[in-house]
Amino acid sequence: MKRRHFLLAMLAVASSARAAGGEARRFQVAFANLNEEPGTSIDGLRFSGAEIRRSFELASRSLPLDMIYYDNGGDAGKALANAADAVSRKVDLLIEYNSDAEANTEIGRQLKAAGIPVLALNHPIPGAPLYAADHLTAGRIAGQTLGQFARENWSDQTVVAAILGDVADPSPSVAARIAGVTEGLRQELPNVPPILLDSAGHPVRAEGVLAKFLGTQVRRKVLVATLDDASALAAKSAIETAGRTSDCVIVSQGASRIIHGGASEKKEIDPANRGSIVLGSVAYYLDRYGYEVLPIAMRMLRGEQVPTQTLTKHVLISAKNVFREYPPYDMN
Amino acid sequence: MKHSSIVASVILSALALLGSLNVTLAQSDCKTLVKASPFGPDDQTGATNRITPAVTKAAAAEIQTGVVIPMAFNLVDGVPLFGTRFTKTMLTTASLVPGGEYGKNRLTYMEDTYLSQSHVGTHIDGMGHIGVMDCYYNQTPMGKFVTQNYLKKLGLENLKTFATRGVIIDMVKVFQDAGKLKTNPACRTPCLDGGTVITDADIQAGLKMYNVALREGDAVFVHTGWGDLFTQFPAQNATYNKAAPGIGKSAAQWLADQKVVLVGTDTWVVEVIPSEDTNEAFPVHELLLTNNGIHIIENVRTDLIAADAASSKRATFFLSMTVPKAVGTTGTFVNIEAIR
Repeated sequence: MKRRHFLLAMLAVASSARAAGGEARRFQVAFANLNEEPGTSIDGLRFSGAEIRRSFELASRSLPLDMIYYDNGGDAGKALANAADAVSRKVDLLIEYNSDAEANTEIGRQLKAAGIPVLALNHPIPGAPLYAADHLTAGRIAGQTLGQFARENWSDQTVVAAILGDVADPSPSVAARIAGVTEGLRQELPNVPPILLDSAGHPVRAEGVLAKFLGTQVRRKVLVATLDDASALAAKSAIETAGRTSDCVIVSQGASRIIHGGASEKKEIDPANRGSIVLGSVAYYLDRYGYEVLPIAMRMLRGEQVPTQTLTKHVLISAKNVFREYPPYDMN
Repeated sequence: MKHSSIVASVILSALALLGSLNVTLAQSDCKTLVKASPFGPDDQTGATNRITPAVTKAAAAEIQTGVVIPMAFNLVDGVPLFGTRFTKTMLTTASLVPGGEYGKNRLTYMEDTYLSQSHVGTHIDGMGHIGVMDCYYNQTPMGKFVTQNYLKKLGLENLKTFATRGVIIDMVKVFQDAGKLKTNPACRTPCLDGGTVITDADIQAGLKMYNVALREGDAVFVHTGWGDLFTQFPAQNATYNKAAPGIGKSAAQWLADQKVVLVGTDTWVVEVIPSEDTNEAFPVHELLLTNNGIHIIENVRTDLIAADAASSKRATFFLSMTVPKAVGTTGTFVNIEAIR
């Protein structure tokens, strides 16, 4: 009997030593994405759900993680069902990207009951750490950039400013972006309050709205802050059509791939296009979320404390830094 | 007179100080960005310093049957090329025109003109290919050594021989055995999919498969199966260039620690694309070439030697590869053969 106990003890020691010296433990992590429906612009910033998911696939390659992916489809009910499935699979952690506050409260409650930690993405879940865009700061960067340009180049001219995009969107993120642009402009140009130009998020409409506005601003310099990159490209088109390229500059929000691209794509923000009236676009890095979020998830899985809120570090992407921020490895 | 010579002396001293400051700044910048060569401050050769007569002699023992296995793809119009690279040959046939012959014996001749970039087809990346800002291998501030036409330092003419032992690592088998092979539907034979990271553990598993222990001066080739897309040119060129399976930073560092002289794969890039951290540009190139002087060979035909290794259970061979003494160049296409 004693001998059997001794052998069992030795086996236990040997197996724990193997665990310690062998491969690190792998974790099963579920990521429930906001919406992977093709054509859906995530948070109005012209990123696709597929780009966000891809960033998780890429970032997880070098981590001891087995990922499970869900598509919430922009639907609260589906988000709840996905969370229930994650619970039934006994995942080690759930990363939840869902915009419905009520559903998020319920998801938080269910996961807590199941003893599964949750990491919320852009929309809070009670009791869960949050990774989120800093819309106010991003907007401020755009406003400051426009204001600085005007001070440096048009100090003796009459300057007006406009914010173009889905300005009537009731979401707090859009309101924060607009507030940030306004604040940034005020810091540089205290007497140039921006005018809101509503395109309802449609680029064609943005072009028309801005064209009309330009017609009322003869012999004035115009600073345009757009709420997304598609609106920026539409604004550029309107300015060119109106023959006002020497009077206008644009700063956008998002820095999605539609405005910058690989070395051979020759997009608007490109090192070879430094004279563009699109001065830049503030990066939200939705296509890097995996790289930002999974390290936080790893810390949670290791039982470490993480901040209750981690915000994206936004920077202005321009012709000067676009290849540094987005190395163009894809040169097809 | 005395006063003027003092002034002149002060000015000269100041100029000398400024000059030395400039040099010092450039050098200290590169010293923070790039590792020093273990072969001394004047080294422009890199890892081929490791191929000593003893290494070559030991490698010669690998020749057992004399069978030669090709490891280069044909270089022909239409093969996948990275970015805006191009290659084109022009044939000069003037003497074939009736009456254009030479002498009573009616001798004729033909010649080619290569209108080609050097990093095309199966090719070697030299020390002048990759840097961090203007700092290249052995902390060389390349800004001082570039002309419109060629490099005044780190050109291919500085390389020594590649007469050494080659080792093939069959990563397809490693991933198959581990039950983690995710292939690409465009590959007609099993391949690792684009974006698959090959780690140091994978490399060591591949070596263990054929009981190979790497030696200083070895040339390492990794078979990923991705080269099958190269052979389907031009149909699969876009797929081939869009991504690649390849070694990650841990594998690159481990290979560098083994003091190998080159790493080659059947992909356009050797390293994994997209990179492990997509915010970094070609970090394995930087690690191997810039910081360790280890050559990178791209678009290597690895399928034949991998198959031969599988059937013979022998993954080592004598490497036959020569590099032209093309002064001041950053790379060139090469022919490679494995002699068994």
